This record gives sequence, structure tokens and C-alpha cells, in this order.
Amino acid sequence: MTSAIEIRSLAKQFGSIRAVDDLSFEVAQGRVTGFLGPNGSGKTTTLRMLLGLVSVTEGTATFGGTRYIDLDHPIRHVGAALEATSFHPARRAEDHLKSVALAGGISLSRVDETLEMVGLTEVARRRVGKFSLGMRQRLQLATALLGDPEILILDEPANGLDPQGIQWLRTFIRNQAGLGHSVLVSSHLLSEMEETVDDVVIISQGKLVLQTTLADMAAQAGTGTGMRIRTPEVRRLTEALAAVPVGWRQIAVDTLVIDGATPEWFGPFAAHHQIVLYELINERGSLEDVFLRLTQGFDTEHPPGADGRSGQSAPFHTPGAPT
Amino acid sequence: MIAIVRSEWTKLRTTSVPWILTGIALVITGLFILLYFVTHGQTGGGPGEPGPGANFGMPHPGYPHTVQQLRDLLGRGLGAYIFSLLLGVLIITTEFRHKTVTTSFLATPRRSQFVIGKLIVAALTGALLACIILAVTVVGAGIAIAGEGGSFTALVGQLGAVAPGMILVYVLFALLGVGVGSLVTNQVAAIIICLGWFLILESIIELLWHWTAKWLPSGAASAAANVTAGRREATFGLFNWWQGSLLILAYGLVFAVIGSVVLARRDIT
Repeated sequence: MTSAIEIRSLAKQFGSIRAVDDLSFEVAQGRVTGFLGPNGSGKTTTLRMLLGLVSVTEGTATFGGTRYIDLDHPIRHVGAALEATSFHPARRAEDHLKSVALAGGISLSRVDETLEMVGLTEVARRRVGKFSLGMRQRLQLATALLGDPEILILDEPANGLDPQGIQWLRTFIRNQAGLGHSVLVSSHLLSEMEETVDDVVIISQGKLVLQTTLADMAAQAGTGTGMRIRTPEVRRLTEALAAVPVGWRQIAVDTLVIDGATPEWFGPFAAHHQIVLYELINERGSLEDVFLRLTQGFDTEHPPGADGRSGQSAPFHTPGAPT
Repeated sequence: MIAIVRSEWTKLRTTSVPWILTGIALVITGLFILLYFVTHGQTGGGPGEPGPGANFGMPHPGYPHTVQQLRDLLGRGLGAYIFSLLLGVLIITTEFRHKTVTTSFLATPRRSQFVIGKLIVAALTGALLACIILAVTVVGAGIAIAGEGGSFTALVGQLGAVAPGMILVYVLFALLGVGVGSLVTNQVAAIIICLGWFLILESIIELLWHWTAKWLPSGAASAAANVTAGRREATFGLFNWWQGSLLILAYGLVFAVIGSVVLARRDIT
């Protein structure tokens, strides 16, 4: 699979702060890649280095080997929506797009087309200062789409959007991928993106934590399960559990959560002890849990292995069968 | 490059501030011309003219008629070059104030091209502003002179001495503005620096050390446009027109080049 974007050993030093450090990852062609990390983890700095807005301290950030600045008419190849505030408030939406199209060597007929694509045709003659945040996000997307680029870079596009707006954005991104375009979309919330992305790149404190596919990450989340049990015989169940090496906690008068338990183990266990059950629920860890664990608990001195499954992303404890 | 200039021109004309600044410049020029005729009517002679007693009984025309008087009248709008400077400052600092510079650099990632586009548009804007102000001056002052029985043709005849220098001054002050704005991207700070220099600091320096007057931008501008009377710095002695033109050219280009180099290295975060 060829790469649309290649980041190699990228680093940025702002004074005494290492905002990005030895970062390497790739964005595959025709896929949607989520670029995830907490606020301040270096996502925006990385994207700005990739786009030639911030100088690179070390390493390279290229589009298939070519720097952004060396692309011929770059906005025909790469569309970027970086922040929703970068408009002159007194300028009309269509004039904004016109000025960008002129500078980028793009036909002015694209102005109306992109306004149509993001649903802003009716406010084309309105001054941007009167736009809502959601409308600005759409205008930013229209700006990115002007050159009909095959690569889209979106920095926190869901910020400030209402639920309908986020739904619209997801559909928009999936449509782009459907056209064979590559999309790199950053977010500090995985939950915003988990229905949208194919691959994930997670960074924390300027360093890569994990690059994998969403499917692999979901599988990893699935291993971190527990069983939620509702039973009228809480006391008998806890007495039985005392004999096996598992952790558990009581979350309601009649409900326990047993860490790492599987139905295949717990079903026979409950039958053996003849405990009445009202409910037996397999609790899967959410992707967001994995994400938070990876980014918040990230220890710079003990980075995870290349496959991202060791170190802080250590496997969950799985209890052995009862003896 | 033509595409970039067209883009920059679109950016400039689709906001209101440049139009407002041009309007203020025109109003001030009109007031200057009005003030000239009001004061000269009171003294019975134009500025720079010897008193009535020096004429030994010869009839003394009550309207501007000497070469220097006519040139000074045509150059009444010269002082409005401060608006050309402010337009230059705005052309670049507006991009930073509203963060549109991010979008601009994405469309034009080669920053030298971006700055050259800005400089060309600033120069065109300065030239256009100078022409508009000259046109208003010729019409306004011409009507006033003709009304007093003077020669409109004599006034227009001095246009060749004043107009090229004045257009040059406006163009170079616009470039100076782009240079200052590239160095100090904070719009308010850049405007305060420009106004503080041209309205306050420069006159203080000239008063303390008279010899500096002809070397400072205002003195060079007056010399370039052949306008000597009614200008503060003229009383301290000025260069001739081509020396003044070269000096103002040097000011404009030095600031534009330094500003461009600094801008090219700036991280846009």
C-alpha cells in the first residue's frame, strides 16, 4: 500500500520545549486516518510542519516524498482545514473563496461548487463575521475542497459542532474516502472519530504511542473485558469468588463486576456453585478507554513496543480457571 | 504572479477599512486646500511670499501664482502619505490579526512570492491613492484659483514637477508600511509605531537636531515631490528632488526587504 503522507523522525523545538519528538508515521492512500492525542500533544504542530507553516527542526514530513512547499499548486493536491477562526469577518464567504482560488490557480467556478458541497450557497454573499461556528467549519472545509484535492487534512474539524454537525462531518469524511481520497483527521476525542476512521495514529507529549488499524485497536479493547453480574445471592457469589484469583467490585446492591472474566469461565463457575443469576453481561472495554489509558498513562521512559501492545498498553489480567 | 496579485487585490477590496482610509485621506486633503486659501486670504500673500511692502507698489495678485506657490498648492495632499503607509501596514497585518495568513500560506507556500504579491498590490494602491488625491487637488484648487481670476493652466503646468515625486512617495510609503507590518505583525502595535514616528517622534528629533530633517522620511518625501513650503521639515533645509527620491526609495526597499526576510522565517502557529 502506498503512502499519501510520510512523517519520518520529525521533531520540533520551540525554545526549551520539544513539541514533537522523533515522530514517524504514515497515512495510507485512500483511507481515513485518525490523528489522535490529548490537547497539547503536538498534533497541530505536526500538521503545520507538514504544511510548511512551521519550520521543521529535524526529520521530514512529505507527501509521497515531496514537501508541501515543493508541490506544484499545492492546494490542488492537498486541502487543509486548520482552524475555524481564520477568516476576515468583514469579507463575504464567496469573496474569501475567490481570493484563495485566485492564489491557488483554481478556476473560479469551483467557488460556487464547493459552497454547494458544504451547503452554504444561500449565505455566499453574507459576511463571515455573521457566521455561526458550524458555518465557519463548513466554509473552512469548502476552502480545503476548492482544488478538488486527493489528500485532505482536517485539524479538529468537529470542535464546536453540534451533534447534527458531527453527523454531517462523518458522512462528509466517509464520502471523501469513498472517492478514493486520503484523509488525515485530528481529534482529541477518539469517540468523535471511531465511526469514521480506518486507521489510528496516537501521539502523546509529541511522541508516537501507537499506529494501528481501528479494527486491531477494537480487538485490543475487546480483550479488556469483565462480566457484570446481577444476582439475588450476592453474598454466596462473593464467598465463591474468594476461592479464585480474580478481582471484583460491587457496583449496586445486587450487582458485581468481575474483572477479566469470560462467559465461558463464569457460566460453569456459577452453575457449579448453584448461584441464581438475573443478568449476565459481557462488558467490553471501549475504544475510548484504550485511548485514554494509552495517552494519559503514557510513560516517556517506558515506551510501548513497535506493535503497541506492550509497555503501557499491557494486556489485561485474565484469571485462570477455577481449581 | 499575476494570479497572486489578483488574489491580494481581491482581499484588499473586499474589506471596508481601505475604502474608509482612502475617504479620510481625501477629506483631509480637501481641508488642507481649504485651509490654504483661507490663510492666504488673511495674509494677503501666499506662504513663502515676502510681505506686501517688498513689492514696491507693483500690483500683488491675491492668489497663488509663483512656481513654488503653485507647487506647494498641488502638494497640499502630500502629507496624506501617512494613509498610504497605513494601507501598507494593513495589507499585511490584517492577515495576522484575523489569522488569514494560514490560508494564504497554504495557497502560496513560497513566502517570497506571497510578499512580492503584497508589495505589488501595496505599490499599486499607493499610486492609485496619490492619483486620486492629485485629481481632487487639481479640481479643488483649480476652481478656487480660477474663481479669484488666476490661471488654471499655470497650476496644471506645475503638475509635472509635483506628481511624479508624489506618486513615488505614496508608492514607497506603502512599501514601507508592508515592511513595518511584516516586522511587527501585531496590527495595533504597527499602527501606533507608524503614527508615533510620523506625528510625534520625527518632529522632536528634527527640533533637537535640525540637520537630521532632510535625512528623515518626511524630509525626503517633501524633497522628492518638490514641495517645500507649509511643511515643517522644509524650514531645516532639504535635499533636491532626486536625492530625496533616492533616499525615500532606500527607506521603502530596506524595510520591505528586512520585513520579507523576517516573515519568511516566521512560524505560523
